[in-house]
Amino acid sequence: MDFTLTEQQEFFKKVIVDTVDRMIVPKAQEIDEKDEFPWNLWKEFTALGYLGLRYPEEIGGMNADKIMCMIFYEEIARGSVGFAQSVIMNILMGTYFIYRFGSDSIKERCLYPAMRGEKIATICFTEDQSGSDLGATRTTAVKDGNGWRINGTKMWITNGPICDFCTVLATTDPSKGLKALNFFLVEKGTPGFSSGQVLNKLGCRGTVTGELVFDNVWVPDENFLGDELGKGVIYVGEILDEVRLMTAAMALGIAKGAYNEGLEFARKRVAFGQPIGNYQLIREKFADMDTLMNAARLMIYYGAWMMENNMDVRTLAAETKMFATEVCLKVVDEVTRIYGANAFAHEYTPQRYFRDARFLLYGGGTHEVLKDFIGRSIIGKL
Amino acid sequence: MNILVFIKQVADTEARILIKSDNKSLEIENKYNLNFFDEFAVEEAIRLKTKLKDSKVIVCTCGGKKAIEALRTAIAMGADQAYLIDNTDVDTEDPLITAKILAGYAKKEGFDIILCGRQAIDDENGAIGPMVAEFLNIPHISAIMKLDVKDEKHMIVERDAEGARQTFEVELPALFTTQKGINEPRVPLITGVMKAMKANIPVVDPLTLGLKKEELNSGASKIDVLFYETPKARPPVKIIDGETAQEKARKLVKLLKEEAKVL
Repeated sequence: MDFTLTEQQEFFKKVIVDTVDRMIVPKAQEIDEKDEFPWNLWKEFTALGYLGLRYPEEIGGMNADKIMCMIFYEEIARGSVGFAQSVIMNILMGTYFIYRFGSDSIKERCLYPAMRGEKIATICFTEDQSGSDLGATRTTAVKDGNGWRINGTKMWITNGPICDFCTVLATTDPSKGLKALNFFLVEKGTPGFSSGQVLNKLGCRGTVTGELVFDNVWVPDENFLGDELGKGVIYVGEILDEVRLMTAAMALGIAKGAYNEGLEFARKRVAFGQPIGNYQLIREKFADMDTLMNAARLMIYYGAWMMENNMDVRTLAAETKMFATEVCLKVVDEVTRIYGANAFAHEYTPQRYFRDARFLLYGGGTHEVLKDFIGRSIIGKL
Repeated sequence: MNILVFIKQVADTEARILIKSDNKSLEIENKYNLNFFDEFAVEEAIRLKTKLKDSKVIVCTCGGKKAIEALRTAIAMGADQAYLIDNTDVDTEDPLITAKILAGYAKKEGFDIILCGRQAIDDENGAIGPMVAEFLNIPHISAIMKLDVKDEKHMIVERDAEGARQTFEVELPALFTTQKGINEPRVPLITGVMKAMKANIPVVDPLTLGLKKEELNSGASKIDVLFYETPKARPPVKIIDGETAQEKARKLVKLLKEEAKVL
């Protein structure tokens, strides 16, 4: 087995680490405190071209392999998870179905500008009564002439209130559950499409998250994103593993950011005449944190490698998302203990990591749902 | 026009550095960067290229295989080509030897302008630029803060001097070392990163640069490192107690006079 990154992957890692350190880390506290979308940073960062990370070079992308994608997701989340969420939405979920099924004119209008950062993308799964339970989707799409009429309300939409277009999951027949789910493209300015409540979140501040309302929105047939009706859930499956591994990588990024702060503090903070890093109970925390983070990283890279080699990664991706997120929660907690009372003050960073970590518990599937899925996939149908 | 940039890969400022048990060498954590002052040189070369017709930026370093990463960084920023001069059998403690190698490379490659950082932040020698210029018998200006093209044969450069700014007209070929503040090095675009990832970086044997083996290896150095020692630990911070600001200030002045002896 060869666990080394290639020279190219190492170089890419170095570049993205430097870029994040230079452009994002210095602004992370301000992004969190203001809780406003950082338009200037968005403009500066997206001008570098990273939004085309996973798309082919022929259309202006980078064609990065899956391990490079994980490195990117981890590092940008280490910088600011609030900013990372918006960036990754444009890179992955917000544009995937447009790339996969969009007509040339849709790609010209939406995909390519989104890859350049000129348009903001999002995807709409969640509703007030459905998240992981996609079968309970209540937003409807009904055939109407040469198009579809969409009605419903979506919640917890990353980039929702500022998006230029969104991919909406809607049912074309509420009686058929998962078998009637389909994706549709809705662009800003379409009559009946509006944003509702903006959420005031505990963490991941800086990402604008909120409600999107589809009130009798009509879109042409071209905006149906798929080969045939009713295959929405199958299409979700195409990126679900990557989304779960991405969430795991983001969790590892938050953990790493917090860990770095804790390490610096442990080396400098003096108590009872010596740096606290000299005390065994503090050393134990670093031993545990480093072990857990290494394990999470190995799982993430292994999953990415499996995906790159077209292997079935469904169970491992779910396990990795769950494990890395729990590792993240453990690390951010330990760092707040290392920091002592300072961790409780908004002037210092540990409280930000502590709050940010919570969100990843839910994105990509709650752990209660994931554990059931993993258990079922191991035991099988009895 | 050939714009040569000499760079060095140095340990990251946050890398852990330990003195090995022989006290004559260092164990450095595997965290390296393009030297801080060389970033300005690369950036300035790329900007110069846009002002001059038919010019190219060639970056070169004398280092180990790991230094390819620093060369790739320069390509990602916009350099056209990069070369690694393999320093495996070179005594790297003596900047005179490195300067001879780089001068040999410059002669072989051909150049109009050479840029490099004013010093490397690891050994802080600040010697390579002037030494290379000397070996090549060309003019050099250190720590420049501005570089303008007068014509294809002359540059106007500025640098800070004590209490003033000096402006020079320099005939090419010439060597300039760059100071912080000359520009803001760019963050590489993804297109540059991709080019850098794929770039073929040839490795040059220093013996092909007109130098003899005995000029390069350990016997050639006129400098010997006797030993390294760790910097003395700084004394702990003294917190000055007092009921009022006036009382604290009085105590501080007393300490500055009597203990620190700086007043």
